[in-house]
Amino acid sequence: MNQKSLLSLLLVCSLCYVTIAQTEYRNEQQVTAALKSMASQHSEAQLTSLTKTVGGKDIWMLTLSDGAPESHPGIAIMGGVQGDHLLGTEIALNMAENIVTNHPEVLQKTTFYIFPNLSPDATAQYFAATQFARHGNATKTDDDRDGQVNEDPFEDLNGDGVITMMRIEDPTGIYKMLEEDNRIMVMSDPNQGERGTYDLLTEGMDNDKDGDFNEDGLGGVAFNKNFTFNFPYFTPGAGEHPVSQVEHRALLDFLYTQWNLYAILTFSDENNLSTPLKYNKSGASKRVITSILEDDEAINAMLSETYNKLIPNTNAPDGSAQGGSAFEWAYFHFGRLAMSTPGWWPQKFEGDSINKAPKNETANFLAYAEAEGIKNAFIPWQEIQHPDFPNHKVEVGGIRPFLMKNPPYALVDSIAIKHTDFILKVAEMQPELQLVNLKQEKVGANLTRITVDLHNNGLLPTHTEMGEKSRWMRKINVYLKTKNNQQLISGKPRQVIEKIDGDDTITLSWLIQGSGNVTVEATVPQAGTATKTINL
Amino acid sequence: MKKYILTTVCVLVVFAFAKAQSAQDIFQAAGTPSNPKVNVAFNQYYTAEGLAAIGKKIADAHPNLVKRMSIGKSTQGRDIWMLAITDYSTGDADRKPGFYLDGNIHSNEIQGGEISTYTAWYLTESFGNVPYITEMLKDRVFYIVATINPDARNNYMKEPNTGSSPRAGMIPLDDDSDGLFDEDGYDDLDGDGSITQMRRKSTTGDYILDPRDPRKMIRIQPDDVITGQRYEMLGREGIDNDGDGQINEDTPGYYDPNRDWGWKWQPDYVQRGAYKYPFSAPETRAVADFVKAHPNIAGAQSFHNSGGMILRGPGAEEDVETYNRADVAIYDAIGKKGEELLPGYNYLTVYKDLYSVFGGELDWFYGGRGIYTFTNEIFTGFAYYKDKTRGRDQIYDAGKDLLLGDGFTPFKAYNHPTYGEVEIGGFKKNVGRATPGFMLEEEAHRNMVFVFYHAFHMPHLSVGDVTVKSLPNGLKEVTATIVNDRLMPTHASQDLKYNIERPDYITLSGGTVLAGMIVKDADFNVTEEQKNTPETIHVENIPGNSTVMVRWIVKGGNTFKIKVDSAKGGVVEKSVK
Repeated sequence: MNQKSLLSLLLVCSLCYVTIAQTEYRNEQQVTAALKSMASQHSEAQLTSLTKTVGGKDIWMLTLSDGAPESHPGIAIMGGVQGDHLLGTEIALNMAENIVTNHPEVLQKTTFYIFPNLSPDATAQYFAATQFARHGNATKTDDDRDGQVNEDPFEDLNGDGVITMMRIEDPTGIYKMLEEDNRIMVMSDPNQGERGTYDLLTEGMDNDKDGDFNEDGLGGVAFNKNFTFNFPYFTPGAGEHPVSQVEHRALLDFLYTQWNLYAILTFSDENNLSTPLKYNKSGASKRVITSILEDDEAINAMLSETYNKLIPNTNAPDGSAQGGSAFEWAYFHFGRLAMSTPGWWPQKFEGDSINKAPKNETANFLAYAEAEGIKNAFIPWQEIQHPDFPNHKVEVGGIRPFLMKNPPYALVDSIAIKHTDFILKVAEMQPELQLVNLKQEKVGANLTRITVDLHNNGLLPTHTEMGEKSRWMRKINVYLKTKNNQQLISGKPRQVIEKIDGDDTITLSWLIQGSGNVTVEATVPQAGTATKTINL
Repeated sequence: MKKYILTTVCVLVVFAFAKAQSAQDIFQAAGTPSNPKVNVAFNQYYTAEGLAAIGKKIADAHPNLVKRMSIGKSTQGRDIWMLAITDYSTGDADRKPGFYLDGNIHSNEIQGGEISTYTAWYLTESFGNVPYITEMLKDRVFYIVATINPDARNNYMKEPNTGSSPRAGMIPLDDDSDGLFDEDGYDDLDGDGSITQMRRKSTTGDYILDPRDPRKMIRIQPDDVITGQRYEMLGREGIDNDGDGQINEDTPGYYDPNRDWGWKWQPDYVQRGAYKYPFSAPETRAVADFVKAHPNIAGAQSFHNSGGMILRGPGAEEDVETYNRADVAIYDAIGKKGEELLPGYNYLTVYKDLYSVFGGELDWFYGGRGIYTFTNEIFTGFAYYKDKTRGRDQIYDAGKDLLLGDGFTPFKAYNHPTYGEVEIGGFKKNVGRATPGFMLEEEAHRNMVFVFYHAFHMPHLSVGDVTVKSLPNGLKEVTATIVNDRLMPTHASQDLKYNIERPDYITLSGGTVLAGMIVKDADFNVTEEQKNTPETIHVENIPGNSTVMVRWIVKGGNTFKIKVDSAKGGVVEKSVK
């Protein structure tokens, strides 16, 4: 055994070790190491840092392609779209690994642009000394717009390293304990004869004594709130205007030059795969379009059906978008086939012979967590002394953050495999231009009519209906290339075709005088190039 | 020998010129700085470098009034120059209420460059001579960017263009979706430096020459009996550069920098011209970054051409709700004054009087930053004959009577590779939209005084009456009235709706403050206490032409200082015993 093979064996072994040993979500260093390892192992994988965030962290892009990336239709996959969704990063990483290791043949036809973590500043909070579900990046923001920056953050009052909730006994409060699980606080409803006896706040003090608790802490701009569609102006985490952050600009500046991109898959709360978007005529017919368009509704339904076969939509949470999200931008403003899913959600606890299924969503989750063996899902209420409430009983506790969006790590592998299978099915459907049924007819001496069918061999259209409107999706260009001794009598040397639907065909014809070879070329970056040479 | 003579001539010319400028030979025309430190001809236009050089001269000649800085680089790497003009001997410049003005966002709409420059020149040359200006620079700062589109300004001037091109900036785009960028622009076939019209004699054409004025084409009406030569119009001067069967279909650009701003931005398919995302062009981003870093900017103006309009937002019909009654009243007051100052101009609203588009500069300034902003469309045909009744054809009369034929290229035959024998001619790019030289200085002055009126009415704060009343137990009650004696509030109602800018802070120092409150009604003693940090009272707004009353209960101290700190209203203070 020579030194090189020994080294590769060692490398393979160490990789095996890492794969086997991985039991927890990976932090920034581990994600970076995994990416670098993929890039160094596979010639099809290329790692680029698009930029560094304000927090000094890389925005990585792993490009998977056999050959020049722009030469194949492309799919972008985005993880870490929401800072508390560590699962998205893991799925994206594992999908990359699965594709390049187990399905390299797809890279001969499709390029994957994988952005495993678009919120690295925020996801770091999971691994920090004080853990909380953070969405914002490291940009300093005045979340309550009072002129002071970060003046009222959370405090870990019970010293458990996690920010949860505080309940304060107070006859003026509007919360009460839930009957079926008294760990859970719910709003009381006076119309149902209920009286509130608690206040419920996030864990911390009112540092700036403005009556609001923890309203302006680390804050930052949330990756999934800073896009252009339906931007939530002047709300915490949105930023001063759309695309105000360096990572957004870097990502968009890159994507706007990738003409071959036809689909974008984001892992986030938005979910049009479990339940497809519904067409709404009034929203679709205004100039500022707020509904999926009719043709695209049908495609979404088809993709959703494919997805649900792999990942059943039972108990899938409401996945409607909240404005400013990457998913909405990808469809409404970038015109691409946009897919989004949280990737995983807790199943409903249906009850068993001993335990009744709680109706309340949170209570049901706790029952589910217990049944699944998820430990410490609820941090028990613990009494503390709170300087802002000197004469009240104050307790800290609540659901452990992250759990409802991020499954036990052991499930990550199988989730990633299913999503890999899904994206491979999308790749199988991708638009593909073909020139077929070529016909030559002699119309007269030296005069030939050429007829050819331009066929989209994919099940997906070359352009979404939205993409047809966008200047950022190139039209199909068809060229008939003649030589000097040939003359085009009828038909155009260049013609532009707006769109060809999935498995649809357009017939083209030209009348040419002369002899020798002419070439027909049909090309669009997101569906490839088809060429035929004809000898007249 | 020849060279020697030339030098002598030059020296003589310079000498004569210099002598003519000496003070004793000049009698001052009212309203114009006499014998200025910097001489600028305002009957001509300047390239980006020309404007930059004038800006530098102004800054060098008036170091105590001007700070010149680059706020960013253009697409092609030019500096975007800004002159920050104020009386630097008083106050902190960037804490004074600021007025931002720029020109030339649309590259062919050039006058803004000269009007902005005239404003900078006038401010600096009049300081110390015109009390209105001296006062204005004491408590206001002007941020003047003569051109925010320097690359394409030069393209408009130096390359063959129409009066309406390139309008965009110089980022290449693929307008015809063939994968090539800017590959089929206009072509100056007759070499006159302008892109004019192509026409061709045709037995079926639908135009004839006007028998009274052969420069003019008349469209044939259905009942006309035509005996003379018919023509067909073939569009703007150009050839099919990329051989794709179309002419001039992918000119430099095209995107519109005035669809690139971050208030309710919408993509290209909603209204043509949007680029990738808000502030995706480096020039607009430079301005936005500057404005975000200068919360003292309370008023703004951008210059376009043409049509004689004083425009306010909203730009888009869908954005009507953003402009509420209180702010519209302020816009109306300034806009109506503008109609008086700018004869021939009309005060209008973009979405209903021009077109309904998203992503405009004035929309972001107001909607996104709460800054009262106008866009003026410089120059209107009214200016030729000061007559509103003359129609579109007055340009032919003016071209002959006032411009004496300058600015028109007579139609000449040309052998076109696609169209064969054609004729090329028409008005050059500097006629129609750009103000003719002999009227430019007047137009600059009138637009400048409109800017001054607007800037004058930015918030102007002072600490008015302060009363100190003794309370039992040695406590004192200090009551202060804060006055804003101009039209604009410290926070536009758009600002108040979203808390865009922080509250105004009113601080008492010189004693121990036990309580602080806003006095809502002095007569009935209605107050609203601020429990936290009572020494610094947070006031959400100091309305225009109005007052705010605040009160403190103080222990100890004899001399009290009251300081008002407002982002858009500046910093003022007063001490009382």
